Formats: sequence, C-alpha cells, structure tokens
Amino acid sequence: MSSTSQHLLLSPAELAYLHGSLSLTTPGPIRPDGRAPAQFRPLTAETGILPGTNGSARICFADGTEAVVGVKAEVEKTPVSPYEFVASTEGRKDHSTSIPQKKKGRKSKKPTEDEETTMDVDDEDDDEEEAGDGSAAVEKVRGSPDWVELSVEIPGLRDDDSGTVFLTSMLTEALLADGEFVKKLWINRRFHWKLYLDIILISPPLSYPLPLLSLTTHLALLATRLPRLKSEADEDPMFDDDWAAATFLYPRQDTSSGKASNKSKQSSAAAAAAAPASRPPITLLVMAVGDNIIFDPSKEELAVADSAVAVSVAEGPSSESEPESDSIPATTTKRNLHLLSVRTIDPPSRLTPPGVPNSVNASAWGTMTAATPTTTTTPASANEGGAAKHPDARVTETEDVVGVWKAPRGGAKFAMLGAMVAKVLERGGVAEEVLDGLEGVDLG
Amino acid sequence: MPLDTSTYNLALLRVDGRRWNELRQQGNTKIQCIITGPNERDASKNTSSSASTAPTAGGAGATLAVSIMIAPFATVDRKRRGRNDKRVQEMQTTIACGLAAAVQGQAYGPRSTIHIALNVLSQDGSLLAGLINAASLALVDAGVPMTDYLVACTAGSTSSYAAADEAADPLLDLNTQEEQELPFLTLATLGATDKVVAMVCESRVQLTRLEGMMATAADGCKAARDFLDGVVRDKGELMVQEGAIGRGEVVSSMDLD
Repeated sequence: MSSTSQHLLLSPAELAYLHGSLSLTTPGPIRPDGRAPAQFRPLTAETGILPGTNGSARICFADGTEAVVGVKAEVEKTPVSPYEFVASTEGRKDHSTSIPQKKKGRKSKKPTEDEETTMDVDDEDDDEEEAGDGSAAVEKVRGSPDWVELSVEIPGLRDDDSGTVFLTSMLTEALLADGEFVKKLWINRRFHWKLYLDIILISPPLSYPLPLLSLTTHLALLATRLPRLKSEADEDPMFDDDWAAATFLYPRQDTSSGKASNKSKQSSAAAAAAAPASRPPITLLVMAVGDNIIFDPSKEELAVADSAVAVSVAEGPSSESEPESDSIPATTTKRNLHLLSVRTIDPPSRLTPPGVPNSVNASAWGTMTAATPTTTTTPASANEGGAAKHPDARVTETEDVVGVWKAPRGGAKFAMLGAMVAKVLERGGVAEEVLDGLEGVDLG
Repeated sequence: MPLDTSTYNLALLRVDGRRWNELRQQGNTKIQCIITGPNERDASKNTSSSASTAPTAGGAGATLAVSIMIAPFATVDRKRRGRNDKRVQEMQTTIACGLAAAVQGQAYGPRSTIHIALNVLSQDGSLLAGLINAASLALVDAGVPMTDYLVACTAGSTSSYAAADEAADPLLDLNTQEEQELPFLTLATLGATDKVVAMVCESRVQLTRLEGMMATAADGCKAARDFLDGVVRDKGELMVQEGAIGRGEVVSSMDLD
C-alpha cells in the first residue's frame, strides 16, 4: 500500500460536501469538474518528440500535469547459467555453432543419456535454422525481468521517496506481469535488448500521477522502434543502419509496418510481428465513494475516496475465432483485455482523523469521564450510562450524519473491488475507450 | 573519433553543415522550463531540495530557485545523473545568479520564491546557454518583470594548439562533438547590449583568442535575443487574435518597445 499523501487544504465541511455529492445515487455522482463518472480528463498527446531515443511520448492532461517518457535500448549479453538445464543445453549450443568442428567431434563421442537428449534438441535446432523459418524459434524465445529498467522522476521528491518507489514498482509490475513483454526483447540466445524506460513528470504532481505516467509509458512503448536485425541466428548481432527500416516493438496489425516486419526473417521482432498485435499494459486509477465507481479521480476527489484501486490491464492477441469478426469492419474488432494486477492505494482520506463530537472532546470543554468508568459498575453499564449522557458519542461511531465528514474506516469491500475491476474490463468500458483514444495518436 | 577541423578552415563548413557564424535554428538540444510561483518561501523545503537559490534586488526582492533535471535519455548513451551532481549544481547557481541580475524582484515581497524548473530532454551541446535562454523565455512568458532578456550563447575556436594561431577561426554555438574537441566558452549578456552577465569557460584557451570568442558569442547573443523576442511577439499576436487580451492595451505597449 502506498499513500497519495498530499497536502490538501480542504476543511471537514468541504470534504463532507464533496463526499456527499460524489456518493449521490439517483442522478449519479456529481464531480467537481462536471465529468461523467467514467470520463477521463481531456488530454493532449504526442509521440516521437525526442530524436535521440528509441521511442518517446509526451502527454499533457487538461489540469496542467505533464509527463515525458523516453525509451532507450541497448544490446546486452545474456548470461548463461550453467546450473539451469535449458540454459546449459543452449550454452553448449553456442559453442557448437561458433565452432562447428567441435560439435562434430562431440557427436562422434558416445553420448550419455543426458547428453543424448541435448543432442536431439541441437539437431532440431539445426533443422529449423536451415529452414530459415523465423517463427519456428518462437518457443525458444525467453525473457527475463532484468531486461527492463524503469525509473520515475517526480519534481520535488527524492528518488527513494516511498511514493516514487511505489509508482515505479507498480508500473514495472504491470509491464512484467504476463512475461510477454520481455520476450519482445530477445535477439538470440546470446544477446538481448536491455530497455530503459525513464518517466519524467514535468509539472509538479497536482494529482496522483499514476494514470498519467502509465498512459505516457504506454504511448512511448507503442512508438518504440528497434533497429532491424541483419545478422542471423546466434551470431553477434548486426543491425540495419537505416532507421526507417527499424521495426516497432509493438507492431500494428493493419498498417504496412507490421507487414514489413513480417517479411523480415529475423527471429525476435518478426515472431512478435507474426503474432496478432498486442498492446502494452495500462494502469487505471479507480476509486469508490459509497456505491459509485469513479475513474481518473482528481486530487480533490481522491481526498474523499472510500477506497482507491490501481488496475492494470493489457490487450492480448485478439480472438479471431469468432464468426462475427468477418462481418464487423476492421475498425470495430473486439479487444481481448486481460487483467494483470490490482493494487489498493491508500487515499488521503484514510489519513484524516475521524471527527470527535464536542461532548467527548476535552479541547471543546467536553468531559472524557463517560468513557472511563470510575465506579465499580460493570463496563457495559458504564457504557450505557455514557451513551445515555452523551447520545452524540454513539451516533458518530455508527452512523453517517449528513454534512459531517467522517473518514472511511476498514478496507475496500470485496464486492466493490470486483465491481471496479469488472467495470474496467467490460466491453466498451473505460479501458477500451482509453486504448482506442491512444491508438489514434500518430506515431511519428 | 577526433573531430577533423582541417576542413573548417577551407570550406568554412562544419560537421552539421553550418558556417562558422551560424546558429542552429533547430538543434538537438531540447529543454523545457516550468516557472512556478512566486510562492511563499518554505524554509524547510529549501534546505532539503537541491535547487540553487539567488536573491534578487539585493535581498529586497523575490528569491529565484533554479533546479535542473537532466533526463537519463538526453545523451546518446543513457546516463543517470544524481541530483547532487556538482556540474549540475554549478550550472544552477550560474543561472540563478545570472537571472537575478535581470529579474525585477522587488515587485514581489522578500519572502517569496520563484521556482524555475528546467528539464533537459535532449542534449546536443550548448547546454548552459540553452538553459539560460529557456529560463529567460519562460520568465517572460510567465509575466515576471525583467529589465531585458538574459540571453546566452557559446563560442569556440577551431584550433587548440598555439602553432595554428593565425589560422584559428572563432565558431558560434557548438554542438556536442565540437564541445568535446575544441575550447569554448558560454557567454550570457543582458539583451542586445554588450553587458556580460555571466561567462563560463571550462576548457584551456589561448588568451589571445579569448577576445575574438567573446565578440562572436556576444553577436550570437544578439541573434538569440532577436529570436526570443520574435517568439514572444508571435505569442502575443496569437493571444490578441484569440482574444485572450484586449487589443488596445497590448498594441500600445508593443509599439512602445
């Protein structure tokens, strides 16, 4: 759990008013900025702003918060672990490909049972490589969480501030959750791309920046391109100098770039391109007030949230088995959203102390004696007596009084959590709307 | 790869195709500047943050707090800089002190602070000059009263050894590759005047060449001032067209200039 602790100068009366208007059920919640409950703040976005990066994006929310993400990629050597079985076979494979004579010599040796299996694997590999079919190597594509490094920079906060660290780990978690992302960074058995994602919040954090940072990262990853691989198989990687020939990390299905990368017979990116287009994850901030579910809360709204949840979703390969997909035009293909992670976030409302009625508040000349039995009566009767003397005391502990701010207690209800996640994932829901919106951004 | 400056003398063309006295209109250095404030000075925050501060108007005016953030992806090779990088801190101080000379801080109370947050997104030479120009432009855009633009420019010299003294040419507005090879200085002047506000030179340079370099840089500053002024005027015209400001007041004040 992390807290979105920000100093908000709202009086208890203002908090109560906000909470009251957000928890209205009959006309729906009334938000301070007049948005619908599932409506995002309007945003402007652009990509490819930095020529020196592999991919970059900038998103500016209407409230003035702005973030820039730059993605840089480096080629790194994959360490081969001698202990891991799969890794060890591949390690030997490396030797055999680099020095063919050695391999033949090994083959002539009488193999042990263990060796035999590895040799079988080797032979299969060779066949595949001779066929020159890039997609055949799909099963061998592996990935490691170490291949991605993500950093978040928020002005005015230290790097090791708990809020920054939590944001970093939440965004990293969404990226690494399904393990598909790191597979895109696979070059060959010996080399991989190391991807550095640097997220910078340009403006001071006016609201909890999670959705902004997540959307900007999403866009930057969509715009990320890696140089086209020229070398084959397990050679030292050689890349095409022509940036125009570089392939997108997330190739698009219906554009010509996707087809171009299909044709190129390099293993990693082509394998990804051959698979139906998937999209990088997005993390949405959802909060609940009463029975209302509200998306993309502003700072003021978050201050009165009963519970807040960060939901990460990703789009997997779209299901094309459905017969309807033929009749529906390509623009309205159904998205195959899947849930990656759910994290609860401590809204600042949890940090505000609950109100104390004047009758028991010592600083307001109330008496504290009612709560502490001084005579020899049983505690129960003492409490009864206290309640009889000060009816306010019990009321504030149990009921909501209109116009009086009461900080939420206890965790989020399970039913509410489920409802929030369902609302994110539903067809035509917020996640789809956001993904559609970001898809419209021109990837320069 | 060492930079071959021999071609510089002959063709007078540089690696990026410019002549010796040409500014880059669209360099690869990209800087964003955000001005916040003036706010009430927060004593506790000032000590914890790494921003450099400088008081304006001899302590009677607002304080300028400059913080520079260089993005890890700004350079060709990704490089993370700590917040307390001495180089960055020195640049912060230079900018804060330089701007303090131009900003009319007495318009605000002595207990107020103007925060200048500079984000370097892409870096290709003339970093300090770019930062000063960006901060200056942002301050004008924010409506902070200033005597004139504080503009800066770099100038270098083509040869770094004494024997080629006669053949040495001054260069204006160096890019990264040139900065690494050649002696250069950053000069900040107050608007189009030749009043030098700040000068930073970190490389060894022949004293005889210094004057030529400074003169070149001052010319560059003039050009930069005109460019910034043009940008501000365009913005002003746009605002008038959009109706953000009344026509009469603006036109009269712009004619006064």
